[in-house]
Amino acid sequence: MKNKFFYTRLIETTDVSLKLTEIDLSQDEKTHLTSLMEANIHSTVIDTVLSELSKEDKKIFLRNLVSDDHKKTWEHLNGRIGKLEEKIIKAVEKLKEDLIKDLIEAKNYRMTIK
Amino acid sequence: MPGKRDNSHYQFLAKKWTNRHRELQSKIFTQHEEAFKWLADNSKQFVVGSLAGILLLTSPVLDKIPQSLSSAAAQVKTIDKKVFLVYDLRNVLPNEVRPLTPDEEKNVSEILSRSFDFSIQTELEGKRLNTTYGIIGQEQHLAKYPGDNMFTHFDNSNEAEKYWSYGMAPGLGAWGYFADSSGALTKKDIDREKYYIAVQTFLAPGFDSNPKAYTDFFKYRKMLVVNPQNGKAVVADIADAGPSPWTGKQLGGSPEVMSYLERFDGSQKGAVLYFFIDDPNDTIPLGPVNL
Repeated sequence: MKNKFFYTRLIETTDVSLKLTEIDLSQDEKTHLTSLMEANIHSTVIDTVLSELSKEDKKIFLRNLVSDDHKKTWEHLNGRIGKLEEKIIKAVEKLKEDLIKDLIEAKNYRMTIK
Repeated sequence: MPGKRDNSHYQFLAKKWTNRHRELQSKIFTQHEEAFKWLADNSKQFVVGSLAGILLLTSPVLDKIPQSLSSAAAQVKTIDKKVFLVYDLRNVLPNEVRPLTPDEEKNVSEILSRSFDFSIQTELEGKRLNTTYGIIGQEQHLAKYPGDNMFTHFDNSNEAEKYWSYGMAPGLGAWGYFADSSGALTKKDIDREKYYIAVQTFLAPGFDSNPKAYTDFFKYRKMLVVNPQNGKAVVADIADAGPSPWTGKQLGGSPEVMSYLERFDGSQKGAVLYFFIDDPNDTIPLGPVNL
């Protein structure tokens, strides 16, 4: 089965998902928060990659990204960015740390009901 | 009967992660704008036709928000699309607030028509205003019918609490009362007062040549008013004339309009876009418009 995004094989989100299960959430709420987590990961990866590329390579990357051609995306990026996989993993790990902090904070959070 | 489930954890996280995502998208878009613009201009396969649309394609979140979810999810969608509208408008608006050139007006009306899915026009029936981009000032409530005052004006206590401080204008709107009596007041009348704007009808090109025709045209004419800095928009109606040119402002908004658009008077005053809505069958309701 084709991976969802070119970076999917690098990303492990079990730790965040497990923390989500510790909070009282409906299925819809879990689904929504999971999609928000994925969106944050996606934007983090895109930001990490774009920040490493030249003006012209940014265009090529975006074109490959929206055409959903993972092979082409990696071939292009590997020739342009050193240790790209490490950089993506590091950026996403930092994001996940922040998300887990949010989840811990949320467990203790009570909204004032007006 | 079971009590209402407390979903404050969810709301807390949804808000925080939505804001985080929005900030990330803004950062990406700002720092790499040229590349996104290139893609929008050069990719024939994208029918979205805008810079914002391209950014949407690079984000997986919008099509994954469960439709069954409550207002929180809807709010997420709204916030994101507004961000894109702001970016699209930023590319075509001048840095200073001034009347737009015909090309600029065309670009803006295209963006607004595409974003809001109704026909937005600079000019209707050969008539237009003096400008479509101007500084908006704060107006007061208008009396809706003879005898309407601050104690009778509001629909409920929440509205009274929120909007009482703006007071009632000493005079009537440009077209007089909205209804002959409180008994004759309809929802349309109420909305026309609630979401009214005052524009400089008297400065419209051609006004002096036929004031009656222009007055009839402007009476309760629907306009889309957009804060280009936050993407918030209201379908408003013209119910008053003003402000005077010496004020340095080009239009005024009711307390409800200003509050929704998050526009303020005084030192924090800001600009809005205001374009006619072509709605010959009167099907578009007055009030805030969600993207």
